[in-house]
Amino acid sequence: MRKKFIAGMLILNVSGAVSCIGLCGKFVVMPYLAERQYKEQYKGLMFGCDYSMREHLIAKNRFRLQPSTASEQQLESAEVGLTACHDYDRLRKKMLSMGLSSDELARFGLEAIEEKASDVQAFVRDHEFRY
Amino acid sequence: MNLGIDKYLAFSVLLCTSGVSVGQASFEKILMTQIAASGWRPSAELYRNPDEGISEVGRKIFESESLSLNGNISCRTCHQDKFGTSDGIPNAAATGEGRLAVHGGGRIVGPDRLMAGAKLLPRHVLPFWGRGGVGFETFFWEGKVDFSEGKEISQFGAHPPSEDALVVAVHLPVVEIREMLNEDEFVTARKKESVEQAKEVYAKISSSLQRDEPQASQAIAGYLNKSVGQLQYTDYARAVAAFIRSEFRVKPTKLEHFMSGKETLSQDELRGGIIFYGRGGCVLCHSGAYFSDFKFHLIPFPQLGFGKNGFGVDYGRYNTTFDTNDLYKFRTPPLYNVEKTSPYGHSGSVKTMEGAILAHTDPLRLVDLRSLDGYSRHEYYTRLSQSGEVGQKVSYLSDADVSQVVAFLRTLSF
Repeated sequence: MRKKFIAGMLILNVSGAVSCIGLCGKFVVMPYLAERQYKEQYKGLMFGCDYSMREHLIAKNRFRLQPSTASEQQLESAEVGLTACHDYDRLRKKMLSMGLSSDELARFGLEAIEEKASDVQAFVRDHEFRY
Repeated sequence: MNLGIDKYLAFSVLLCTSGVSVGQASFEKILMTQIAASGWRPSAELYRNPDEGISEVGRKIFESESLSLNGNISCRTCHQDKFGTSDGIPNAAATGEGRLAVHGGGRIVGPDRLMAGAKLLPRHVLPFWGRGGVGFETFFWEGKVDFSEGKEISQFGAHPPSEDALVVAVHLPVVEIREMLNEDEFVTARKKESVEQAKEVYAKISSSLQRDEPQASQAIAGYLNKSVGQLQYTDYARAVAAFIRSEFRVKPTKLEHFMSGKETLSQDELRGGIIFYGRGGCVLCHSGAYFSDFKFHLIPFPQLGFGKNGFGVDYGRYNTTFDTNDLYKFRTPPLYNVEKTSPYGHSGSVKTMEGAILAHTDPLRLVDLRSLDGYSRHEYYTRLSQSGEVGQKVSYLSDADVSQVVAFLRTLSF
């Protein structure tokens, strides 16, 4: 009886430990690794997708306002260019599956969009803005 | 013998100085003619204020942080007298955390605000000189409020809140996220860029003002024959517009005194004016009563900061019209008090007036291409290649020419 009790407790504790380790892995380690491993790549792919989408919209508006063979060809090229978003989308899904949240990915995106904000402070420092 | 030499010397001096004064008089006459022909008007003819009666109470609203629903910021935070009604920094430093307050209840402003970590906006703060005066109907860098020549362009589409362009313009900063509005739960739920959703935000701002500015609200209500509870944001916007028109009206300048014969210009100012109206080609865009044609042009100022479109890109007027002919174009800045509103350009990337002129005539001098990353270099190249219209209008100007134009521009100060 006692042996059964001890065996049961052992199984319970081992199961508990494995679960904790698993949960820790899923909710802490994996997201941490995902951020370390893929954050810069994500920001780069996000820029590429954003750029392609902007170029596509410009080409679409140019074709709408000034339809011609040239602007039509430019639009077709821009549509092909949207394939840059495929890699971005794939990595985004991978990072989400590794436990990062949409909000965290949005934060990475904002960092990428506003990376040049630090140039402004450097400019103010270098040019000694004083009043 | 000495008398003869003295007479000869005297005659020579007389001949030379009379030649100089004849030349000076010719230049003055040429300049006066050109200034008049370009649409310049005396300052007294530019003032209009349909709501003069609430201009003083409009100051209270202009300086009230209750205009900002949740951002602890007023119009005055970014439009400071000591910075020529701008904020003295390249990109606006807008909403931010509590540490932007100083001991005693004031707010940190200008360069200190930027360095203290306020959230940045992608454009340089526009000054207020002459805004809402006669003929001043186009507002913001990309003209997103434009009532000139019978147009009625604004984010309100077919139903602007007022027929007065300045009153409509006053509606925009208070609902611009990060400018005067932080993104909390209430705002996020209404962030759909629809006029109907914006009405709820305006209603909440109006309630805040009624609560926090009771005396000002009473005065506005009295002027409009309403009760305080009936006041809407548009009513407060009229008061702010009245204040802006009154406080920042164009006043007589050295140039105006020159035009009326009360003052003469220095040699540099005169030469600078001749360049401005002559081979410099400045008047081709900087014309009219405010030294702006209120049209949109591409001047390849360096881009500083992340830009309106992110990643260091700012498409300018295109963001309003989606017309590809408007890519990278911005409104011609009016020039009254221009010497007080440094830095210059849509992203404030140029600190001096000399640099601003070089952006038109010799833009490559302002940029160290080797310090740019590949994409920034590509963007700059794209803008340069599309700036041909301006390149065809302006001539090369030497450093001495530029200094003289700057001297002329200083005559527009008051």
